[in-house]
Amino acid sequence: MTSLNFKSRVSLNFKSRVPVFDANVRVGDLLDEPAPYRDREGLLSEMDRHGVQRALIYHAHGENVSPIIGNEYLEAWLSDDGRTHPQWLVIPTSDSLAQVQSLHAEGRVNCVRLFDTGQRDLPFRPWAYDTLLSWLSEERIPVWVLLPEADADALVTTLQAYPSLVTVLVGAHYVHALWLRPMLAALPNAHLELSRYEPIGEIESLRDEFGAERLVYGSWYSRLAMGPMLFYLHHTNLTDAELASVCAGNLERILGGGTQ
Amino acid sequence: MIDGTQVIDYHGHVGRWDPLGMKDDPKLMLHAMDSAGIDISCVFGIFHPDGTTSNDQAAHFIAQHPNRFIGFAYVSPMMPERMIPELTRAIDELKFPAIKLYPPYTLWPFNQPQWHPIYEFANDRGLAVLFHTDGGELSRPRYLSEIAPQYPNAKFVAGHAGNVIEPRTEAIAAAQAHPNVYLETCSTYRTPGVIEQLVNEAGADRVLFGSDTPLMDPRPQIGKIITADISDEAKRLILGGNARRLLGV
Repeated sequence: MTSLNFKSRVSLNFKSRVPVFDANVRVGDLLDEPAPYRDREGLLSEMDRHGVQRALIYHAHGENVSPIIGNEYLEAWLSDDGRTHPQWLVIPTSDSLAQVQSLHAEGRVNCVRLFDTGQRDLPFRPWAYDTLLSWLSEERIPVWVLLPEADADALVTTLQAYPSLVTVLVGAHYVHALWLRPMLAALPNAHLELSRYEPIGEIESLRDEFGAERLVYGSWYSRLAMGPMLFYLHHTNLTDAELASVCAGNLERILGGGTQ
Repeated sequence: MIDGTQVIDYHGHVGRWDPLGMKDDPKLMLHAMDSAGIDISCVFGIFHPDGTTSNDQAAHFIAQHPNRFIGFAYVSPMMPERMIPELTRAIDELKFPAIKLYPPYTLWPFNQPQWHPIYEFANDRGLAVLFHTDGGELSRPRYLSEIAPQYPNAKFVAGHAGNVIEPRTEAIAAAQAHPNVYLETCSTYRTPGVIEQLVNEAGADRVLFGSDTPLMDPRPQIGKIITADISDEAKRLILGGNARRLLGV
């Protein structure tokens, strides 16, 4: 597999040339931030514009109000056409866990996204999360964990207590530049979602150091524009096989080959 | 070069900021530029208030690849006696074609008198001035609406175009009201629809592509322009046409 010939491939217009399964898409409105599209058709239209076939979606209402209600709202964005796949939000309460366990019993849970309890000063420690993390670990359900407001030490030491748990670390930014290498080294089952991670040359460097299988394309649309990171990935020296893995294959593997 | 358009990145740095992963390694920067079709990056140092240290650092960096990088002159009102002599040196001797200012590393909002000697200098010589702008009180884009009409021969560029919604609205209003105000695009926020908003509300001839390299890789930042829902002609202006006009290159 060869590297890309960069200069000959840059154009004023861009669409992905490999299949794309976006690992981080938000649907619906935040309290203070209406989404730029009103319905599923609007989302699919934006995906089509960039050549994105599938997206793992969660509902905005679950991000800053109620994971339980947000998950209910998410149903309207799903379809059996295979283009939108549910990512259920979960918070360490018995009600939230019961909802996700019920969905799991129906065969509808292939991953979950942790509510950012840092918003409410609940430390990410086993005493607060053990019931939830133990269940996810036992059921081999991968979990998306937000980095922006995380306590790095709590995150690493807590996840190390569940060594079989597969994680995707979401929203790394250049302010996390000091964290990522020791974090990825300490958590061999962790993957890095790339939507916000822009320090120069870092995607290629992390590929060299940890392998492309640890990297996952996510746009975090509609918080961020859908296209720029996808364009970036297409203009690195990743091989075609690595590009395909980062854009879709790694997520498919994490989700266990199926999503619903 | 992208589809026949020479691409100029209007916002870049020299120096290292290791805690954030920023390093001005020319090999890394050129690899990223070549990968994305960027011909020239404008760079400046902002970490030294004397100006001289930063400008010499930029000049040394540029000298390694003079066809790929352009320097902007940096000075600070924290050392007011040095501002005009250093600007004169950087423009006349180092041949830097524009000025970069960074209000957060000073004590004064950039509409205050401490800054005006720089604007007078730029106005006398018809130079472009790039500001860091954001929602902080030192860096509000609304100040452009005060200073731009006072110095009509200078050009004023709102770096990051205000960065987030409220200051971005101020930046656009300044560009709408004053023909010598421009908007530069780099931002870690990458909010959907922002490039389209800048083009639709201020005009494609007033928008400049910038990346903040090497704090940020220029590839996702140029990706914002390439993947925006705007015309190819607008993209050509943003990616290089407007910068060539401002810099005279």
